[in-house]
Amino acid sequence: MEPVIEVRGLTARAGTAVLLDRVGLTVAPGEVTALVGPSGSGKTTAALALLGESATGVRLSGEVEVAGTTVVSADGPARLAPSVRGRVVAYMPQHPAHALNPARRTGSVLAELARLHRPGGGRRPAAAGYAAEALRTAGLPDDLATRRRFPHQFSGGQRQRVALAQVLVCGPRAVVLDEPSTGLDTVARLRLAGELTRLAADGIAVLLLSHDHDLVRAVATRTVLMDRGRVTAEGRTADLLPARPAAPVPAPAPGPAPSPGGGRAALHARDLSAWLRPGRRGEVLRDVTVRVPEAGCTAVVGPSGSGKTVLARCLAGLHERHDGQVSLFGEPLPVLRHRTPRQIRGVQYVWQEVRNSFDERRTVLEQVARTAVRLRGLSPREAERRAMRVWERLGLSSEHAARHAGSLSGGELQRAALARALLAEPAVLICDEITTALDEVSTRAVTEEITRLREGSGTAVLWIGHDLRLVELLADDLVVLDAGTVVDHGDRRAVLSSPRSETTRLLLRSRHLGAAAAGGTPTPYDLRREGQPHS
Amino acid sequence: MLRYALRRGGWTVVQLAVLSVVVFLLTDLLPGDAATVDFNEQAGLDQVAQLREQMGLDRPAAERFADWAHGLLTGDLGTSLVGGGPVSGVLARSVTATAALAAVTLLLLVPLAVVIGLVTGLRAGSRTDRVVSAVTLTLTSVPDFVLALLLVALFSLRLGWLPSTWVGADDLWWQRPELFVLPVAVLLARTVCVLSRQIRAGTLTSLNAGYTVQARRLGVPPVRLVLRHLLPNAAVPGVQELARTGDHLLGGVLVVEAVFAVPGTATALVEAVQNRDVPTVQALTLTLAAVACLLNLAADLVSRRLAPRTEVLR
Repeated sequence: MEPVIEVRGLTARAGTAVLLDRVGLTVAPGEVTALVGPSGSGKTTAALALLGESATGVRLSGEVEVAGTTVVSADGPARLAPSVRGRVVAYMPQHPAHALNPARRTGSVLAELARLHRPGGGRRPAAAGYAAEALRTAGLPDDLATRRRFPHQFSGGQRQRVALAQVLVCGPRAVVLDEPSTGLDTVARLRLAGELTRLAADGIAVLLLSHDHDLVRAVATRTVLMDRGRVTAEGRTADLLPARPAAPVPAPAPGPAPSPGGGRAALHARDLSAWLRPGRRGEVLRDVTVRVPEAGCTAVVGPSGSGKTVLARCLAGLHERHDGQVSLFGEPLPVLRHRTPRQIRGVQYVWQEVRNSFDERRTVLEQVARTAVRLRGLSPREAERRAMRVWERLGLSSEHAARHAGSLSGGELQRAALARALLAEPAVLICDEITTALDEVSTRAVTEEITRLREGSGTAVLWIGHDLRLVELLADDLVVLDAGTVVDHGDRRAVLSSPRSETTRLLLRSRHLGAAAAGGTPTPYDLRREGQPHS
Repeated sequence: MLRYALRRGGWTVVQLAVLSVVVFLLTDLLPGDAATVDFNEQAGLDQVAQLREQMGLDRPAAERFADWAHGLLTGDLGTSLVGGGPVSGVLARSVTATAALAAVTLLLLVPLAVVIGLVTGLRAGSRTDRVVSAVTLTLTSVPDFVLALLLVALFSLRLGWLPSTWVGADDLWWQRPELFVLPVAVLLARTVCVLSRQIRAGTLTSLNAGYTVQARRLGVPPVRLVLRHLLPNAAVPGVQELARTGDHLLGGVLVVEAVFAVPGTATALVEAVQNRDVPTVQALTLTLAAVACLLNLAADLVSRRLAPRTEVLR
């Protein structure tokens, strides 16, 4: 079939640096094409060039043609490039939380996009119809309550669906998804795979940018491999990315094996309940008990919207509408603004989308080092020296250190945020989906650092993550959350080998994407879970 | 949202109740009273005391407050100690002039500040931005009375195009729009800058935000992008600033009223204080404070809608 997207000799230069070197690729309708490569290989630069867009200071040249319209020509983006945006090619960015307007209701934005791009969408009922259809396709309920919600009233995984609905409501002929499986639990990822396959079946050309090889194997017919701005291989996915037999993350030396439940409790939360809105309305956690022993690692898993992040925020003292006891080495922990500097230092929190937490006017390393100055009273010189050491262990170069947040990728910032927390030398480290933007090499650097911390400093780690492989690698204990309650808990091996709840079984079943995707459709159980209003 | 509005409205009622007490106590603390002013310097102490008794000023404060509060609730603001007429008449006369002036100023201010804020924000650092910012900043730095006198000197005295004073207009000022030009110009010069700077800052922040970039990538055309996606977020600091500006304008800008002899609230208030006309002072102060409360209530409700995320804070 005639390809929707044709790219030939696409080159992107920033000053003297070459970001893309004569990249060529085609995306045909009715199938998923994957663009695979490590962080910083130029995937996003190439994808944005399909919209005729580039970062400031980046010059594009070459030839990009989308459904017959020239978007990039030899002398840069073409005049007609804006006309393809949305209508012909719709792009979904990596971190949907930043891509949703906090002041606009979900339904109103969807209807607006439909009116702009859909034939006959100018009429109100037609636009509302398109909006409802897009919500359903993206896996969200299309009732009035959902349409009237603001982005902050959705959970992280649901926000991704809202962003997907925005893309779909434009009725594009090609969809470009940048790392769509970032931060999704196994169940949601399985659904996503199903959705991508269905989109392709509807005749849409899908370009999938991902370092998630399992997802690519499950959905993509063709794969283009990129490295350092060049296309290194192109062909059928089955040939380029053969299924690997072994666990892909080589296990570091197994952590200290504290006896299950043993060790002094570093962080202990008892009967924690939390609400989203004042007056105890919008309950998100109910009687949750979590215990992290010294030098231990407790993992929290659960489907998206189950309250994992709210739990982390309660423990970090950021979510104040909660009830129950949180203690650090037996001493009660108040909310963050009442914590002493010692308590702040004791519990450090690293979260998923960290870009907004960096100041654009100072270099990243300076901000990372600042933790040690503020919380440990080190001199700025000494702090910077130590920051640099952690920095390098996490696989970041000294060149990254002098840069500002805006010029670092999501994965680089995520590691910088981890370094920032580590410089406090905390007794408890709370990690909320901190590997979502990382490729395998960087993920390994992070897990090794965490193991080192537990062995070397006896740091207790609360690990929230959707990646069960990492959970198996890191955690001693496991807590499974669903709809704000603990449905399964105990020794990690015991829980995973003999799960007591349906949620755990479902998470385990859907972990093997390749096998499960063949079986295809999401279960009704999952639909119910995702459809439940978050607040 | 409804819950928040009700709660916030409830607090405003409490605020107003507290305000009435505070206003009463403060005016009670003013040295001297109407009885001392009404007589000339030759009046004996017993005469003053007699008058005080006549006016009911010798009763305990709590009793007088109860009377006054009861009057307020039934819509009776009391009797002016000086003119002898009802206070509501004084209030109506002065407030209408100020309100008209404030309304005209706000009507021009909002679109002007939004346009200036958006243009300078969208082209931050450009020549347009620098020129416009320089002009607005200069205008803010010129004191009101200097600007007012300069304008009067130029447009009234030298060119003779515009009247320099409201004296003689009496109650017919609303039939003479030219009276408004100079006072409104002075008021605008001060307020446009502050408001447009707020909108400029908001615009800059949301221009680089992920949601603006994504909306552009989804093919939202530029004008719609600015008005529907960018402005709601950019306006948040501006809305709060606007409430303060409105409050300031309705309170009467004494300098402007004095220079142009506008018979507005500030003039009336100063006059009432000079005459120790306590009921008038109380009514005027309370009315202005109530207006300030209501404006801030409105601003809070609008901000809440524009930044709904604030509900999860705390």
